[in-house]
This record gives sequence, C-alpha cells and structure tokens, in this order.
Amino acid sequence: MPAKKEVCNAEGVDAAVHKVADGIISEFLDCPTREFAIIGIHQQGVPLAKRLISIIESKTGYSPELALLDISMYRDDIGVRQNLPQINETLIPFDVNDKVVILVDDVLSSGRTIRAALDALTDYGRPGLIRLAVLVNRGNHEFPIGADYTGMTLAVPVERKVAVEFVESDGQDRVCIIDWKKRSSQEDN
Amino acid sequence: MSTKKEFILSGGKVVDPFTGIEKIMDIGVKDGKIADPKKLKNAEKIDVSGKVVAPGFIDLHVHLREPGNTAAETIKTGTKAAAAGGFTTIVAMPNTNPAADTAAAIEYLSFHAAQDGVVKVYPCGCMTKGLKGEEMAPIGSLKSARVAALSDDGRGIQNHELMKHIIEYAKSMDLPVLDHCEDNNLKGDGVMHEGVWSTLLGMKGIPSASEELMVARNIIFARDVDWKVHLQHLSSKESVEQVRIARKRGIPVSAEVTPHHISLIDECIKKFDTNYKMNPPLRSEDDRKALIAGLADGTITVIATDHAPHTPTAKMVEFDYAPFGIIGLETAVSVCLHELYHSGVLSISDFVAKFTSGPAEVLGLTNRGFTVGNDADITIIDTEQEVTIDADKFQSKSRNTPFNGMTFKGKAAATIVDGKFVFNEL
Amino acid sequence: MGKFNWTKKDLLSIYDLSAEEISFILDTAEEFKKVSQRNVKKVPALRGKTVVNFFVEPSTRTRMSFELAEQRLSADIINISASSSSLKKGETLLDTIRNIEALQADLIVMRHSAAGAHAMLADKISCGILNAGDGAHSHPTQALLDMFTIREKKGSIKGLKVAIVGDILHSRVARSDAWGLLKLGAEVRLAGPSTLVPREFEAMGVKVYHNLKEAVEGADVVNLLRIQHERQQAGFFPSTGEYAKFFGLNEETEKYLKPDALIMHPGPINRGIELASSLADGPRSVILEQVTNGLAVRMAILFLVAGCVKK
Repeated sequence: MPAKKEVCNAEGVDAAVHKVADGIISEFLDCPTREFAIIGIHQQGVPLAKRLISIIESKTGYSPELALLDISMYRDDIGVRQNLPQINETLIPFDVNDKVVILVDDVLSSGRTIRAALDALTDYGRPGLIRLAVLVNRGNHEFPIGADYTGMTLAVPVERKVAVEFVESDGQDRVCIIDWKKRSSQEDN
Repeated sequence: MSTKKEFILSGGKVVDPFTGIEKIMDIGVKDGKIADPKKLKNAEKIDVSGKVVAPGFIDLHVHLREPGNTAAETIKTGTKAAAAGGFTTIVAMPNTNPAADTAAAIEYLSFHAAQDGVVKVYPCGCMTKGLKGEEMAPIGSLKSARVAALSDDGRGIQNHELMKHIIEYAKSMDLPVLDHCEDNNLKGDGVMHEGVWSTLLGMKGIPSASEELMVARNIIFARDVDWKVHLQHLSSKESVEQVRIARKRGIPVSAEVTPHHISLIDECIKKFDTNYKMNPPLRSEDDRKALIAGLADGTITVIATDHAPHTPTAKMVEFDYAPFGIIGLETAVSVCLHELYHSGVLSISDFVAKFTSGPAEVLGLTNRGFTVGNDADITIIDTEQEVTIDADKFQSKSRNTPFNGMTFKGKAAATIVDGKFVFNEL
Repeated sequence: MGKFNWTKKDLLSIYDLSAEEISFILDTAEEFKKVSQRNVKKVPALRGKTVVNFFVEPSTRTRMSFELAEQRLSADIINISASSSSLKKGETLLDTIRNIEALQADLIVMRHSAAGAHAMLADKISCGILNAGDGAHSHPTQALLDMFTIREKKGSIKGLKVAIVGDILHSRVARSDAWGLLKLGAEVRLAGPSTLVPREFEAMGVKVYHNLKEAVEGADVVNLLRIQHERQQAGFFPSTGEYAKFFGLNEETEKYLKPDALIMHPGPINRGIELASSLADGPRSVILEQVTNGLAVRMAILFLVAGCVKK
C-alpha cells in the first residue's frame, strides 16, 4: 500500500465527532444534567476538544469549560524514543478536585498516553469522575484502558499508524493510515 | 632494508644546500660514507626517481625524556620516531630528570644513544645547574663531554647578568647557546596565547611580550658579546621583526620555528583539546603568517620540532592542568611541505636548507652534504605521496599530536644514517 | 511552537547552541515553571534516573537549584564535592567520572574551576554531562535563566539593549550571557574598568564600555556582576570603594536608567558596591525572579538531555 492512505473523509470525520458529542450529551445533559469540563490532550486532542464544546453548545446551550493537558513530562518512554516531543501548554483554569472531567484525544491505541494523562491530571487534584472520549479507537491496547465515547473503530495492523487530520491544524479533516516503512517526506494518496 | 655496504641512490633529485646542487643525479654510498657512484663496482642500485634526495635532516630541538620520564619516550623510541620522520641527527634537550648539567649525565646519554639510538644524538648541556637559572653549569666539563650546544630549554634564564656571563663563557668554549625566550612574570600561569581567544574562552593568557622581551635581551647580548645566540621556537610576529633587523645589522643571532607554529593558531584551542597546548603557545593568524614570512625571507633559518612526548594519561586532563608540549618528529616533514613547499612559499632548495644547512650553521657543523668522504647521512623525501596521519602507528611512545587523522601531501620516504637505512618506505 | 528535536546528550556551553535550540529550551522551561507553581510540585519525568551532582568547585545556590530541579523531576540524586571525592587522592578527573559512570549514572551535573573540563569529558563518556560552570569560560544554565527572565518581562529578546557591568574578564556568566543574547538578536554591552573589560571582547560582536553612564543609557536590561576582593588584591582596580563610585548602580547613577529597564544580578549581591540595596529591592529588580526561573530552566534542560537517546 502507498505510504499514506485516506480511510475516512471529511464527512466521515464530522459524523464521528457528532457521534462522540451525542454520547456525552446523552450521559450528562439529558435528565439529570451534570456539569463537566473537557480536557484536550495535546496535540490533536485539542482541536477535537474545541469542536466537541462547540457542537455541545450549539445543541444544548451548555458550554463546558476547556482545559489543555500536555503529558510529555509523564511519558514512560523518555530517553528511549528517537525524538523528544515538544512540550505544549498545559492550562487547567479550574480546580480539579471533585470535578467531573472528560479527557479527549484523537486516537486511542496502546493506552499509554491516557495512562500518562491520568497521572498528570491526578497531580493537579482529585477529580470526582473521569471519562474518556476518542475520535478513533484502533485496538492494539497495551494497557487495560478503554474509551467511554468512540467516534469510530478501525482495525489496523500494529505496524501501521493512524493519523487524524483536522482543518484547524492540517488544512483538512480526514483519517489516514500510514505505513511507517514507506514513509517519505512527500505525502501521497 | 639494504644491508649492503655499497649502494647507489639512482635517479633522484639531489638537493644539497651545502654545495648548492639541485639536479637529478646519482649518489653513491660505501662503508658509511658518500662515494663517487662511478667508482662503485658491486653497488646495488636503488631507484629513487621522483624523490628528493637531501643531506640528513637535523632537528635542533628534541626531548627524549630519558632519563626521568621513559613512560613518555625513550632514547630508542624517540630516535626511531626521528628516523621515521626523516631525521638523521637530533639534538637532545637537557631538561631530563636528572638534568643534563654534568659530564656524567652527558656521558650517560651518549652511552645509551650509542647503544639504543638509531639516529645520531647530539647532547645539549644545561646553561645553569639543575636548570634553576641561578648558577652557571660546569660548561667546560660539558664541553669536554662533547655537548653540541647549551640550553636551559623548558625555561628561560631570567637573570640578565647571568645570561650575559653564560654567553661570554660559551663563546670561550666555542659552544652555541640556544635560548627558550620567556619572561616568567609575564607568562605567569598562562596556558594559551593572550589575545582575542583567551579573552573569549576565559583562560589565562601568555602575552607575546613574554617572548619579545627576551628576544630583545638575547639580541643585545649577541651583539655585545659578539657570539651566536640561537632563539628557540619563535612564536610572535614582533620576535621575527626583531631578528630580521638584528640580522641585517650583522648581529650573530639565529632563530628556529616549529611546524605547529606555522600551521596552527590559538583559535584551535576552543575545543579544549590539550594537543594544542604547548609553550610557547599557538598565537594568532597574524603571528603565524609572520613566521612563514620569516622563513621565506631567510630571517628564520631553522625548522625544529620541539618534540615533547607526554603520556596520554598526563595529557588527558583539564586544559589548565595539562603539561605543555606535543610530539612532532613524525609529522614535521609532511606539515612543512604543506605549509611551505606545496603552497609555493619556499623552493625545494630553501625548504631543505631549513632542515640541513640552517641547523648545521647554528651548531657549527662542517662536512655535511654530498661531498665524497662525508658521512652518508641522507634523507629521502617523497613530495607527492598522500599520507593520512595515524598516531597509533607512530614509532614514538607518545600520541600527543594535533595532526592525527589529517591528510598531507608528502612525507619522508627513507632515512640513511652512516650508510645504513634506519627507515625505509621506498 | 513548531516541531523540534533535541539531540544533544550534554549541555556544555551556550556557544554550541543555535538560536532555535535556545528558544526551544526557554519554551520548554515555561511549562516547567508551572509545575513549581501548582500544589504537587513534582512530575515523574526523570523517575528512575540517577543524577550525580559533582561540584569540584563548590557552590551553594547553583547546587541547591539543580538539586531541587532534579527532585521535582523525581530523579535519584547523589552529591559529590571535590573534598569528598578521590580527586584529593590524585585520581584524574576522567577516572573519577568513569567511576561515576560505572555506577550507571544517567546524568552528571558538574561545576569545575578549570575551563574546558566538561568539553574534555563529554565525548569520552556515554552519560550526559551538564555544565554548572567551568572556570571563567561558561555557565550556560545561568545564561538560559537570564534570557528566560528577560524574555518573560520584555516579550522578546531581539533588538533589546542589554548591558552587563562588572568583572567581565573573570566572569563565565558574562560570557555565556553575551553569547546567548547575541544569538537571539540583542545588542550586548560589556562595561567595567578597562583592566577588567579588555577591547578583545569586541571580537564577539559586543560593544565595550569603560563608562557606566554610556553603558546603561538607553539599556533595556542592566545585569550587574559581583565584584570580588581578590581582583583588588591582584591589582585590577584600586579599591571596591572606587569601583562602587565609578561602576556601581546606586541612587547617584540610577538617573541614567530607563524607567522600564530591568535590573538583574546572578547573586550573591555585594550590596552597596555593584548595586545599591534600594535598587536591588526596588521595582525594576527581577533578581528574585531569576532564582525562580533558574529552577524552571534547569528542570527543562535536565528533561531535555535526559530524554536524548544515548548512542
């Protein structure tokens, strides 16, 4: 297969985002309503988190608080990978103690990112409830972590990577599968 | 290696500054002496076409470290290094441990050099007892023990009056004086040239004035006493200028420069590699260019290596604490061919002179060169062959060279001492 | 913030870093500053890693800052000083460091009085080495925290006029600050008595001043360096009193400063000599923030060099 292959187009992405938003709304905003905050995990959890907030607000009038979380300092692979990721901004403008929060990331794969996010979040306080929302659940779980709201499920072999692109950061909405071995600096469809 | 007692070096370009010859011709060797090739019946013909055949190169400035620091070098390994570098004769500096300030010490060196040395070793005696710069060494006894010259190298004599007496006394003994020009107060605990780079790097500097002041002192005494004073390892532009003016006035002063001072500068130290640490230090590009100009116009008549072995353990320490000095016997010819011959600064004749007639004049040696009957001390050079310096293959026990891994065009191809090949890569 | 790969296992000097690398460290430090401001002042980033603090040249403040940074990153720490090490018994520095490396240390933070000590070691050992100061040559973490402080207060460093005043000749802080600021596009002025600020420094691309007024007029930042009594004894200037009069920033000379100029000092301050108390404690001073920022910057740099894959 070519180095990068699109498996879901903009409409598919939009449908998946709505599916996640609907899942959240039905748990928290149909009776009884409970307040909650949305925490986007850097990097692609952030545009997704913002979109979910926008959809939830337009559908229900409720606008959850937004927080941004970078988990670089909590990774379990420091000193082992080839590159060290950039540390992005962590911004949690509320008291985490007793808070109901929904962690948001674009892809759930091994589960290690979420493990790190849980450790990071609990260093800020003791949340009342944590849920996990992902756009794509691709299996290959290495940790016993599952998503509560899933946009789409993709069965992808372990040697391929799933990449989600958003208009806000990449110019278009789509989900692609990338073959690591064939990756080059040129994109191809 | 040829063990024949008779051979002819045939087809090489003979460059002999002693006789002024520069042409392709044969050189005959018989029983350790230069012979007329036409008269040699059983001679083996050795083809040296394409090579330069010169009188044996002389290095006026070598530290053999025996006795006292044989971990770094011995007479055997040091002379092997000399042979590999194309030198047939070396002058051994007296800052051994114990210092070569008595006839006994000189005889020790001569004895072991005769036993273990593969090239000719001329001992140099101390100017002062123990190199302390306080009392004159027994120069008369040293002369009887057949030193070739006097020096306190490693140190400069600070007391001017004492220095004047030493030069006067040396004159009466017909001994050349080789001085390490350095003012101790100005040198202080400096570790590199005092200039832009010492300022940028935050290191203590050794100002050029330290050398220049003593150069001036030595020129004055050479003039007043009318005896030859040879200035060792010049490093500064102003030193060269002083020597130039002095020589024009007919003052009997001569000067030498090392291969590293004409090829490297103080900026090299920004990596803190102690293979760039020596005394006098590498100075600025202006100084380097002035040293080369001094060689070009004949102000500087000698190239000498100041071969200073140190064990890797000794050198592999913080820059401030590392001992001064680098080896140079096995890289001298390659580095100098690069800087002086291939760059067009010196003709091959003038190049060879810096290693032959220049040093011979300082020491007052006669009977050098390719006149029949002279000792067959011969240096054969390949000016074109590329060589990449590999310090691990050196004959020297030490490895402290800044040139490791560098590629040069030209090298010593063979070295003959008293008619015997002591190094042969023909 | 763009993507960036950190590939250096050591931090030897600011001179070796590119402007991009410096900016990356400062960006990373911003996030680490927040860790010290929240309740749980710790992250597990260096958990299980062993860091050895080897202060051959003694220090209190820098060592404390490094130790705290290492603890907040959850590292295991060992402290060695020269007097308690085998350097006293004549072991070479290289052998001492190799012994430390054999204990599986991941990082060595070293301060040494000989310039170039870290450079000598870096390519001979596989663990990372962080320069906490080497002779008068380099003090990269100080320069980084100084630049972080300036950037935080002024927004950006490019185009700023920064004056560093004092014994520049013997100062590793001055050299590292100057290199870093120049790389980020500042105009750097080095000022002090002519015996302590030779013109050779201009080869770096800075301007040398032997007059305080000219040096600080129009400056956005004035960084004062500690003047040491040993220099007086060595004949560099006649007395600290004379130094204070001609180069001290005090109520007299304050009038040359811009109202929004920052006053910085690496500490410890000789109050009344290079800097008057009123200015050290006044509104322009960011001296205490430098200390806070030092912690963040050191956490960032420890994180980055520990994260670099060992070859």
